[in-house]
Amino acid sequence: MKQRDAAREPVDTTTEIETPEHVRFRHHVAGPANRALAYLVDLAARGLFLAVFVFLAALGGLSVGESAKQASNGVLLLAFFLVEWGYYVLFETISSGRTPGKRVFGLRVVTEGGHPLRFGDSLLRNLLRAADFLPGAYAIGLLVMGRDPRFRRLGDLAAGTIVITEARHLVTGKLRLDPPPTAAELRGLPQRLPLSGEELDAVDLFLRRVGRLAPAREEELAEMVAPLFARRMGARYRSATRFLGLLHYRARESHEKKSG
Amino acid sequence: MKHQERSQDEFVAARRAEWDELDGLVGTGEALHLKDGPSISRVAALYRSLCTDLMRSRAARYTPDLGGYLDALAGRTHATLYGAQPFHMPSLVALFTRDFPRALRANWRLFAVACALFLVPFAIGLLGALASDQLAMKVLPASMLEEMASAYSRGFASGRDPGTNTGMAGFYVYNNVGIAFRCFATGILFGVGSLFFLIYNGLYTGVVAGYVMSAGHGGNIWTFMCGHAPFELTAIVIAGGAGLQMGYSLVSTGGLTRTGSLRKAAPEITRQILGAGMMLLIAALIEGFWSPSSAPAPVKWAVSFVFTVLVTLYLALAGRGPDRRREVSSP
Repeated sequence: MKQRDAAREPVDTTTEIETPEHVRFRHHVAGPANRALAYLVDLAARGLFLAVFVFLAALGGLSVGESAKQASNGVLLLAFFLVEWGYYVLFETISSGRTPGKRVFGLRVVTEGGHPLRFGDSLLRNLLRAADFLPGAYAIGLLVMGRDPRFRRLGDLAAGTIVITEARHLVTGKLRLDPPPTAAELRGLPQRLPLSGEELDAVDLFLRRVGRLAPAREEELAEMVAPLFARRMGARYRSATRFLGLLHYRARESHEKKSG
Repeated sequence: MKHQERSQDEFVAARRAEWDELDGLVGTGEALHLKDGPSISRVAALYRSLCTDLMRSRAARYTPDLGGYLDALAGRTHATLYGAQPFHMPSLVALFTRDFPRALRANWRLFAVACALFLVPFAIGLLGALASDQLAMKVLPASMLEEMASAYSRGFASGRDPGTNTGMAGFYVYNNVGIAFRCFATGILFGVGSLFFLIYNGLYTGVVAGYVMSAGHGGNIWTFMCGHAPFELTAIVIAGGAGLQMGYSLVSTGGLTRTGSLRKAAPEITRQILGAGMMLLIAALIEGFWSPSSAPAPVKWAVSFVFTVLVTLYLALAGRGPDRRREVSSP
């Protein structure tokens, strides 16, 4: 079971990080949709900042008069330059990989090893926005992201960074079987289930999606494994989803009995 | 080891209080150094026990959602504890006095290619525009060329007022540094973007200079350009060369994957683009305040000569010689 983890990373939107404490944990990689939303928030923030700046400069210009007009244009262009090229680098550096937009959506830029971003990394990944943006609206960036298992755009590839989500997971309650299992249903199942831990994990992941899938699709998915399990333990079932629910119930029941 | 195994509910019940406490401490995403001492130590202690919990929950095969919750909490705490390294000044000084010229010299071949890609179209544009106005107008719109010619017809006898100088300096930062950054960044498309921008900028500059010369204001435009050119044109070529290096590292991988080869070249590339950025800021100040000033032409040419020598010496010599504190890890 351990070997599978070592052999290859699962094809999921996660990436494994090993910390200095030699603990491995998984980050969820942020997808293009989340990142595009964060980009829009950042775009709005930059626009707002410039609008305030232009307003203040205009007030200053009105009070000083014509002589300051040219100079204030220069200061404005300088501000445009700083906001265009410096905004991301500034916030990613001082805020450990989070611009205001990324903060709103719980995103963070980290290096591929899961370590915090350094100034040089941030500079490179953000300068390359000019290439990712081509020929317009981040077309190349999106194309490259779509082909990369960790959704990296060109800037990320060059700087060795990934964008992760830090969305909080909530431990959902115990799975409940509804209606509760009857004694007759449980009698058909063996006390010790001939199922591996991974198989039980898969059943668990499936059951947590029950209710969010269409009933016909639920049954279809459950039908993929239910016959295999049923044959292994010589059991019969009428509804595959219900059968997997019962298996899960029995597994937890015996787990609790064993250790409780 | 059976006796140590607890059911998931017992495990969660026993550990939940600490997880919630840790969640509260790191949940706000506040930087660690803004917290008081005791809570920093507390975060560290809680993080260590969380790591243990994470491994235990995997070993005991608790449900995936618990694993997901612990993973996410560990990830956030890790990001908080190992915050970004502070940006410190000495490394910036070392960059400009040592690392940037070194990186450029290491990349001398592609820098030379970038020079050629800029200078050959520059010469072609210059000679072409001198030979015929029609040719110049095929490259750039006539209205723009005429505007340029009339702008350079005035000379610098009266200088420019300081307000305009400041305004133009801001424009040069916005425009020229932007050009150089784009010339660099598009190099990641296997060098094609840098190739294009180097040729384009060379041709553009050559045609403008040639057209203004043929309009009879050659002295004015060269006297204007000579002050900042040593910094500005060199920096654009450096940025283009760094872009070419990016593209080249994708093609000639030396046995690595393309991404690996790019990552290997990345530090040197970053140094070059930072150096080019600094040179362009200097160029913008010169172009804004010195180039249009009323100083007589011979003084401007003498200054240009000094700048050229300084830039050449800096790029050729800075950072040579043995290193006093060379990092062991760097190859």
